[in-house]
Amino acid sequence: MYRKQVRRRRAVLALLIIGSFVLLTITYGSGSNGLQRGVSTIFSPVQSVADGALKPARDLVNWFDQTFDARGRNSRLQDELRAARQEAVGADAALAENAQLRKLVQLNRGGAIPSGYEPVTGRVIARSPTVWFSDVTIDAGSGDGVEVNDPVVNGDGLVGTVTAVTGGSAQVTLIADSSSAVSAKVVPLGVQGVIRPNVGDPGDLILDFIDSTKHINKGQAVVTAGWRGQGIESRFPPNLPIGEVTTASIREQEAQQQVHVRPFADLRDLDLVQVLTGGSRE
Amino acid sequence: MILTPKIFARLVAIVVLGVLLQLSFFSQVAVFHVSPDLLPVLVISLGLLGGTMTGAVTGFSVGFLLDCLLIEPLGGASLVLLATGYLAGLFRERFEIHSPLVPPLLCMGLTLFAELGFGAVELMLGVDTAVSGLVVRDLLVKSIYAFVLGWPIYLGLKRLLRPALIEESTVRRPRRPTVLGA
Repeated sequence: MYRKQVRRRRAVLALLIIGSFVLLTITYGSGSNGLQRGVSTIFSPVQSVADGALKPARDLVNWFDQTFDARGRNSRLQDELRAARQEAVGADAALAENAQLRKLVQLNRGGAIPSGYEPVTGRVIARSPTVWFSDVTIDAGSGDGVEVNDPVVNGDGLVGTVTAVTGGSAQVTLIADSSSAVSAKVVPLGVQGVIRPNVGDPGDLILDFIDSTKHINKGQAVVTAGWRGQGIESRFPPNLPIGEVTTASIREQEAQQQVHVRPFADLRDLDLVQVLTGGSRE
Repeated sequence: MILTPKIFARLVAIVVLGVLLQLSFFSQVAVFHVSPDLLPVLVISLGLLGGTMTGAVTGFSVGFLLDCLLIEPLGGASLVLLATGYLAGLFRERFEIHSPLVPPLLCMGLTLFAELGFGAVELMLGVDTAVSGLVVRDLLVKSIYAFVLGWPIYLGLKRLLRPALIEESTVRRPRRPTVLGA
């Protein structure tokens, strides 16, 4: 009797392990499948409601974190801290949303988003819990015109790209994800390279494969390169702000052909984003 | 664990609520720049209460739902969380939980195991970019959060699943015989 029970347990365990490997093999690299689309469609409205209901609690916890962070800074930042505290403690979500939307409109008006792209605004409703997968789920999907490979921005700059879509939601892989690579250039020098993540640190990106003969300086801005040629073009439009160069030692540039970049967008704290639909999806 | 339809429904509700709470709340808050991970704690607690099979099956289910909702390749999170739940269950079957510190300490250790597991799966799928040293900080702080979350979650689940739990019967020591006239 006991042996039979042990055998059954082992069989279930083996089945689960084999099942995991089979699922991983079948679904890896194939985007979203019917099952995921179905589950996501069922849970999207629930997630949206849960997201809205838990926002005040999230703001409160994040306020503590921000306050702790800000305590160590000098008096020059006191005013900013007060403003942030007012936003968080007052739970004035509408004010924060308004500011984010204004920044997005400014980005549109400022000419950063070229013609031919139709921005679709979405809200982050879920986020990956592990440091290895930097992706978020937004509440805009194929029903809103969102498609795979559409670039995603917020008011500060480039955030990531759409990697899977369902009817009412989409998965956005952030530029801090280990699978991300964005062709970029340093302005005004025009030095080109590829923005790669430094996995585990969303506040630090690496501009790799740069021309080591041209020296990049700290503080210079990095934007998307948006190349085009031989019938194909980059999925990212040119000149979308990405970040600014933080460390650019000559030794690192010459030896490793890379510099470190801080993204303009706060990738840990995303709320409203815009998907640029209608562009190249090569 | 004695699995009746009512208990099964409770387990399903726990899994669904846990995943939704993780995605909508815990993943989106940062304390000291690190988001707590509730799901390994949930799976470990269920493993400690129900044994290897409960731990493995709920771990697989939590991982599967998580991958579905995040539109990630299916199977990665399931594999890691089923191993985590199985190990917690194995502990319950081999040893006695004699101190209130055992569940939170196990949550801490096995959460670290789960986070390393997620990293291993990601490396298995291929990471051809730099990995920051901050990953280590993230793993350690997440384990500390698991220690803090471990005890209330374990107790809450124990209360919720009490009718299904097979409690160790209290072993009564035989009384010493009284020697009359001694």
